[in-house]
Parts: sequence; C-alpha cells; structure tokens
Amino acid sequence: MNKKIQRSLAVVSAATLLFGVSAVSSAGAAQKTVYLAFQAPLTGANALTGQDELTAARFALSEYNATNPSVKVELVIADDQGLAEVAAVVAPGIAANKKVIGLIGPAFSGATQASLPAYKATGLPMISMSATRVSLTDKKAPVNGFPIFKRVVANDKFQGPALARYAIKGVSSPSVYLVDDKTAYGKGLADYTKPSIVKDAKIAGSDSVPENTSDYTSVVAKVKASGANVVIYCGYAPDAAKFVKALRDGGYTGIFAAGDGVLKATFPNNAGNTAAEGARLTAADVPFEDVATAAQMVAYTKLTGISKPGTYVTSTYNATNIFLTCIKQGVTTRPGMQNCLTAGSFKGIAGDTIKFDRYGDIIGGAAVGAFTIKAGKIVYVAVA
Amino acid sequence: MNLQVLESQFWSLCLQGLALGFIYVLISLGYTMVYGVLRLINFANSEVFMVGTFATVVAQVGILQNQTDAQPLNGFRLIYTLTFALVFSMLICGFLGILVELVAYRRLRALGAKPLGFLISAIATSIVLLETTRILTFSRPQTSPRLLDKWSFGEFAGANFRIDTVMVIISGIVIFFTLDRFVTKTRLGKAIRAVSMSEEISKLMGINLNRVVSLTFFIGGLTTGAAAFFYTTVYETTQFNVGFNLGLAAFTTAVLGGIGNLRGAFYGGLFLGVLEQFASAILGSQWKSVTVFTVLVLVLLLKPNGIFGEAVQQTRT
Repeated sequence: MNKKIQRSLAVVSAATLLFGVSAVSSAGAAQKTVYLAFQAPLTGANALTGQDELTAARFALSEYNATNPSVKVELVIADDQGLAEVAAVVAPGIAANKKVIGLIGPAFSGATQASLPAYKATGLPMISMSATRVSLTDKKAPVNGFPIFKRVVANDKFQGPALARYAIKGVSSPSVYLVDDKTAYGKGLADYTKPSIVKDAKIAGSDSVPENTSDYTSVVAKVKASGANVVIYCGYAPDAAKFVKALRDGGYTGIFAAGDGVLKATFPNNAGNTAAEGARLTAADVPFEDVATAAQMVAYTKLTGISKPGTYVTSTYNATNIFLTCIKQGVTTRPGMQNCLTAGSFKGIAGDTIKFDRYGDIIGGAAVGAFTIKAGKIVYVAVA
Repeated sequence: MNLQVLESQFWSLCLQGLALGFIYVLISLGYTMVYGVLRLINFANSEVFMVGTFATVVAQVGILQNQTDAQPLNGFRLIYTLTFALVFSMLICGFLGILVELVAYRRLRALGAKPLGFLISAIATSIVLLETTRILTFSRPQTSPRLLDKWSFGEFAGANFRIDTVMVIISGIVIFFTLDRFVTKTRLGKAIRAVSMSEEISKLMGINLNRVVSLTFFIGGLTTGAAAFFYTTVYETTQFNVGFNLGLAAFTTAVLGGIGNLRGAFYGGLFLGVLEQFASAILGSQWKSVTVFTVLVLVLLLKPNGIFGEAVQQTRT
C-alpha cells in the first residue's frame, strides 16, 4: 500500500470516528428506516454491563424486524465507556443526528448526567435501563432529566431501604458492615442504604474499597474484628464475587447482601458456588431467563452466543420495546416519540405495566425484587 | 481511623500483606529486568500478567479438563495439575514477553527511536492484548476451579496460615532467589548484567545484544507468569482488566525499591503489600492508594533512585 493511500485511509477512518453516527444513518435514508441510538460502556473497565445490555437491545430489535414491519428500525451504537467525560463527547454526535428518534441509555448515571445537556438541547427522548442515581428524576436537582429522560429501573431511593430491610430480615440483633466500591453507583446506593440500617440495626463499620480491587483480606480482617453478622456490599458482581469468597475463606459465617449491581447469573459461579450460597440480593431488574419464554431464550442465545444473560438485560429489553411500541403506532419523529412516551402505557416482558411520571420514573416505582442464591442459582424470593 | 483492628488482626494483616507482596514482587521483576537492560519501561507487562491468569485457567479447565465446579484435588493429581498450570502460565508469558519485544521494541531499537516511541508502542501492544482478551471472553470474569483445598496449617496469633498463602510466600522466595542466583552466577546472567552496564562494550565483547534482550523479556515473562498462576490460585478469578491495578502496584513496587534492581523489587514488593494491608485496615480502603503514593513520593524525594537504587548496585540486572 503506498503512502498516499495509507494517508487517505487514515483521514477516512478519522472522519468515520468523528462523524460515524451521521454517516450510518444517511446511508439508510432511502429505505423506510428509523434509528434508535444505544449508549453504554462497550469498551473499558465497565464493558461487561454495556455489552450485556446491547445484547438485549439487539434481541428486541431482531424480534421486531422479524415481523416485517412497515418501518424498519436500526441501532446506532455509541460507546461512552461508562465515563462522564467520554459521554460528554459522544452525546453531541448522537444528538445532532436528526434521524435518531430515541435513545436507549445511557447505562451509567454519571454518563447520563454528562449527556443530558446535548439531548435536552435537541429534544431527544431517552430511556435508561440502568442509571439509578436519584437526582436524574428529582425535580429539585439542579441537573435533572426533565422532560426527555425516562428510566425503567427503580432509583436508589427505593432500592437502598429495600436492600437494608432484606439484608437484616430475620437476623437477631443485626450488626451491619457496609462496604461500597467508591463508584457513583456503589457510593450512591450505600448512602441511601445507611439511614435504614441506622434505623433498624447497628452499624458495625463501613469501608469503601475501590472497584477492581483484587485483595479483600484487610476488609475481611475488619469485618471479623467488628463482630458484624451482616455484610452489605454496594458495587458490581465481579468485585462482589471476590469479596464474598474472601469473607467465607476468612471464616465469616454471617449474611452477605448486595444490590442490583451484583445480581448477575455469573455471580454465584464466579464466587465459587458455596461462597455465594444464601447471599441476599435485590434488584429492580429481574433475571431475563426468569421472564423470557423458552423459545425467546433459545433465540437470544442463538443471536448473542450467551446462555446466561447478565444484569439489566430485562430492563434494556423493556426500554427497547417501549420505543418499538411507539414506532409501531406510527411515530417517526422525536416530538412524536416524546408525546408517546409521556402519555403511553406499556407492557414489560414480565407482564407489568409501565407508565412514566412527569419526571421520568415508573409510576408506583419499579418494584425492587428480593433474590437469594440456592444451589448456585439465583432464585427470586419476593418483593423486598 | 480504626486502630482496634490491630488488636486482633495485626499478624493476620502482616501475613496477608506478605502474600500479596510476593505477587507484586514477581510481577515487578518483569518491569525491573527489562528496565535494567534497556532503561525502558515495559508497560505491556501488566497485560502479560493478565494473559498469564487466563493461561492458568486454560491449563486447569481447558487442557486438564477440570470443571469450574470441580471438587478440590489431592495427592499426585493435585501436584501434577498445579505444576502443569504453573509451568504453562510461565511459558506462555515468557514467549509472550519475547513477542512483545519483537513487536514493540526491536524495530524501534534498530531505528534508534526516542524513549517516547517505545512507551507508545508498549502501551499500544498492551491495549491490543487487553481488548482482544475482552472480546474473546465477552468481557466476563473467568473463574478458576478450586483445585487446591484451602486448608489451614493453623492459626498463630490471629494469623491464619492457609495453604495458598504459605505456598505463595515460599514459592515467591524460591523463585526470587533462583533468579537472583541466575543473574549473578551464570554465564547468561552475567551477559544480561554486562548489557545493562554498557550496551556498546558488551557488543565489543561478543555478546549478542538481541539475544540478551529477548532473554530478559523471556525471564521477565516467566516471573510474571508465575505471579499470574499464584494470583489465580489464591483469588480463583480473573478478568480482562485484572492487569491494570496489579501492574500499577508492581510498577510502583519496582520504583519504590529502585527500578532495575532485583533486590529492590523484592523488598519494595513486600513493603508495598504490607503497607496496603495496614493502610486499608486502619484508614479505610479508600485511603489505600493515597497512602501508597504519598509514601512513594516521600521515598523518591529522599532517594530519587528508590530505596535500594544505588545501595546494591552489584545486583543490578
């Protein structure tokens, strides 16, 4: 390849990176096609969450397009790495693309907050499948998502107290050690969990262990020294697996409880099935394999190559289907989508009714489910 | 500040700190060997470590066919499995080290590139390794089966002498002193040291420079591979981004002890492992990095070449 070609290729690839989003959409303009954008971390440390969610969006879309609809829907995929600073750069590109009439995402709260100005300015309706930060739908917050932001997960204001309640349920004189992973999600959830612990139990201690820590032995030493009989972890599954294993290996025999970040089909296995046994988990998201039909699971696995769907797959599937429902009703513009989402009533895959309040939360609050691990499998217990 | 934890957990924290420290030591040897010879930092070493952790899982699950929920092994089969996984991981990392040198360093060296060029090519190589692993593993953590039952020799002064902890410490000592002897006593080791002192004069003495550089990357890979095996055996899990934090800690270890200096890496690693444990326990885990890097800055202010930078010049690789 001569230098000239190499140079022009480099220019083209740089241009694709810069204007990729609009390039994708204009190519399909001749067909009757509308676009939904998808924004989540697809590379970097939090890629697992985003990649799992993307499988659900792709699956919902494949089901929709298989029905030969009059309007075809395609995805415009954007990777924000779950980071606010990356999201702030990615969002204007999507916002500027007028062919995109709805956004599935962003996945993370920090990234959502950073993306909001661009989407608000262009009136792009968005449904997040996993941004749980309370302020995003709080009318008093300086930066909330009104009017375009909606979400299909319960915010941490509901999940925190539910997690505390479930963790200490049936424990005599509960003494709780609260650990978070220093992320916006983990710290936020811990902050909303703490008041309920103070009310109903005793706090034995707390710690903030950075995400991706390998060695939890010093935390285990502290838990043991504190005499806690309940440990609540606010963070994500890979770290929770390491932590619970270190706790059990260190001789801790009390309750281990955690929030929706840990509710992943891979968690029990990664923790070593015995270590995770009996762990108490809460989530606004129900495991996809529990609500999907057998045929859907087969199709999902065939499409994605994944047999154990991760967290937020159900919520992403619901978010995508809400958009698709509106498109089926003939919506092809952003204002039309905004009206449809604000006024409409939708069905979740579990048969639940989804209707949004003025600030974007599900009316009545998305239910917080309580789960436990039995024989290495996540089992739904009740509403926490 | 939580000083109460020291009453019952002091020796436990020391022991766990040492075990973690030995893993740091073994990874940091990968940095320090290369720096000693080339005066360049091999930023791809953290991903060599990551590949080693996956190689361990592949050896245990893929090649030796142990299921992830397998019962712990014992007797000959246990020793065979662990030894095989250790050797497999070391060799994979050793050869990967050679490959990294070939791809990211050799041509640039031949062209007389500036250090910044090496830095970028090493980081690029590490991103390629990281993202490839991420794609191949669907970004998911991989579990290694508990093949070694975690029985304990007993508890002494609150410290639990578990088999895996003891194994890491003893093996770490053995590997370190074997390497130390290799570098100081053998012909090849002397060649490495000669190149580290002066490339030009070593060439005049008939030493094949490229071979010595490859050998150095290979040895760095071997110790990093051993670290990967011990990491996987103790924590029983790995993920595509596992190399970042551990690589950073090992790099800190190398700088703390005096980069390019084997014994510096040894003491630096143990010091860092124990310091991390106590900082996490007393001040809270959120202060761990602050403490570690404050200490690092203080050490560098007082001794810019690290604690052992100049003191044990003879052991410089």
